[in-house]
Amino acid sequence: MKHSVNRPPTPDEDDAAEGFEKDELTLREIINVKLVESGEKENLMELVRDRLVECGWKDEMRIACREHVKKKGRKDVTVDELIRVITPKGRASVPDSVKAELLNRIQNFIVSAAL
Amino acid sequence: MSGPDGNKSSHTELSSQVFFDLVDSVIADVASECHRVARLGLDRDLEVVEEELRFSVEARAKVADPSNNLETNTKFVVDIFGQTHPPVASEVFNCMNCGRQIVAGRFAPHLEKCMGKGRKARAKATRSTTAAAQNRNSRRSPNPRYSAYPNSVSENQLASGSPGVACEDCTVRENVKGG
Repeated sequence: MKHSVNRPPTPDEDDAAEGFEKDELTLREIINVKLVESGEKENLMELVRDRLVECGWKDEMRIACREHVKKKGRKDVTVDELIRVITPKGRASVPDSVKAELLNRIQNFIVSAAL
Repeated sequence: MSGPDGNKSSHTELSSQVFFDLVDSVIADVASECHRVARLGLDRDLEVVEEELRFSVEARAKVADPSNNLETNTKFVVDIFGQTHPPVASEVFNCMNCGRQIVAGRFAPHLEKCMGKGRKARAKATRSTTAAAQNRNSRRSPNPRYSAYPNSVSENQLASGSPGVACEDCTVRENVKGG
């Protein structure tokens, strides 16, 4: 039999002392898995994208990116850098209505997934 | 996370996390797209864009200015690719008949006179009867004899037609016109 079959389980899962925190992490992971499996994640992604485009948020982000590219020079820019630059602004500038709608849907999902 | 309250707060927090995960994905998409556009120069370099803005402003000023319009647009319109409408054929090449350099746009009228097929060309061409006689005579003779003439022949006069078929045609036409 292959060694991988007899591989001892990963220490994390075995560690009972960190149970509670790990439970949270695992819970989040579980939710993620359920979201993906049920296809709800796909729906949510599409919804988020649509809403953020509608309200002009995406355009604002693209302007911010272009500003940064202008400053840094076209050739020097990296994707990570752009993400780093626009994430704080991006997270903060999501319209409240969009956020509320999404949170609502997610919560409904969590509840219905009986977690 | 026991009890309904605990569940709710963790739900809220959890929802928040999931939500921001989604937002982060979209942010990554936007960043990736902008990065691509920037690196490929698809945004047409900010300098170029500014330059084009300037051009378009200038163009608008030109269009708005009536005096300019009158001067430049009498015969043709220039489109965004720089092509003129109607097209102006400006290439210069050598006429295979008389060997002169002809502007492509003037080639047809030139041929008319060059080969002696045009109406008016025939009528006006011969400044003197001797010239007309020479034309008729040399029509039956090979080209080289007549090729000396083109230089002295003005636009209105004929050069000899090419021997063979064309000559016969010319002859026929000549006769039809009643000489």
